[in-house]
Amino acid sequence: MTIETLRLHLEEERVIALEELLVASGLAREELVELVEFGVLEPAADAWSFPGQALRHARRAARLRDDFGLNAPGMALALAYLERIDVLERRLRELECQLLG
Amino acid sequence: MKYQDYYATLGVARDASADDIKKSYRKLARKYHPDVSKEKDAEEKFKEVQVAYDTLSDPEKRAAYDQLGQHRPGEEFRPPPGWERHFRFEQGSFEDLDLSDLFERFGGGIFQGRSARGRRGAPGGGGFAMSGQDYEVTAHLSLEELWRGAELSLALSAPEMTPDGGVQRVPKTVRVRVPRGATDGQRLRVPGKGGPGAGGGPAGDLYLNIALRPHPLYKVSGHDLYLELPLAPWEAALGAEVEVPTLDGRVKVAVRPGSRAGQKLRLAGKGLPTPRDGHGDLYCVLQIVTPSVLSERERQLYEELRRIARFNPRGHLE
Repeated sequence: MTIETLRLHLEEERVIALEELLVASGLAREELVELVEFGVLEPAADAWSFPGQALRHARRAARLRDDFGLNAPGMALALAYLERIDVLERRLRELECQLLG
Repeated sequence: MKYQDYYATLGVARDASADDIKKSYRKLARKYHPDVSKEKDAEEKFKEVQVAYDTLSDPEKRAAYDQLGQHRPGEEFRPPPGWERHFRFEQGSFEDLDLSDLFERFGGGIFQGRSARGRRGAPGGGGFAMSGQDYEVTAHLSLEELWRGAELSLALSAPEMTPDGGVQRVPKTVRVRVPRGATDGQRLRVPGKGGPGAGGGPAGDLYLNIALRPHPLYKVSGHDLYLELPLAPWEAALGAEVEVPTLDGRVKVAVRPGSRAGQKLRLAGKGLPTPRDGHGDLYCVLQIVTPSVLSERERQLYEELRRIARFNPRGHLE
């Protein structure tokens, strides 16, 4: 039994370089470029590094590719819809908080 | 080793064609895929479906699985003698293995399995360097713990590779400190603390999902808190100074005369801490409650109010 204390990282604290994003997500370079062209992944201000949230999206894309056989336009479409659902669910939650019980 | 019925998991007959198996897998994957499904236990079910499909979609693995014979799900069994030689499977001991571990090792190396999903190494690199598996745990925290910051002990049971290429489950405790700014539904990451990599590949990561336990007073949206603040009708009409509990202690809040139900009063900075030293806000949502029992004197005053008031709340409906 080993015990060690670890430091947790918030997603938004992080900037990911292109190469790291490719390795960590399992996306191919061409796929990632296409996802950026479709606007579902956005590089940070300086060219080709990404905000921490990009990893979650890129992994999601790779899972959808592997499990449903999606190509890049399909991944882009699915990611865009899932992102929209996230936004709507956040808004729903915010409004639910204001309902008087 | 416990038997798992992969055919039952996929809902197909034992003599189903490869095509039927694929069709059934696709249907179930659509239903339970954790990225698109809202079903309860979607992730768990999806994993089962995937493990079953991994084995049954590969003719060689399927033949090996069929050789194990049919057992009741969960039944203890041992593969028939010679099974492992016949299928070039190098075994250590069967006792500590899951059936899925067995098939992941089948044909060499656990990292050919789909448990390293989405992490098949650098595409186009040509080498066999594989990142380790990511581990994922969920921590249920109270609002107070999130506000103060919490230190947690996580008990993990991690499959690890033994020097001879087998798999064993290793119990492991890691202590983590939830950083300031974490909130409900967030996924925190400890780099390099997942499963070990193979062929020079990096280790996987450990992920901690934050799940907030419901609080009796506050509702939470991101880093903002919402508190229902009940007012008596005369407090809403005349204005009042009321005391409100915050995570930071009680504060006095001025309610303006003529306040309406559903209005929000914002107490800036009284929400959960955000990354980089900020704070969310606390919103008091006004509610007007009327006493269910009136004293004689109260009733007289209300009746007098009714007589003299010129306020018509339904003017716009006329």
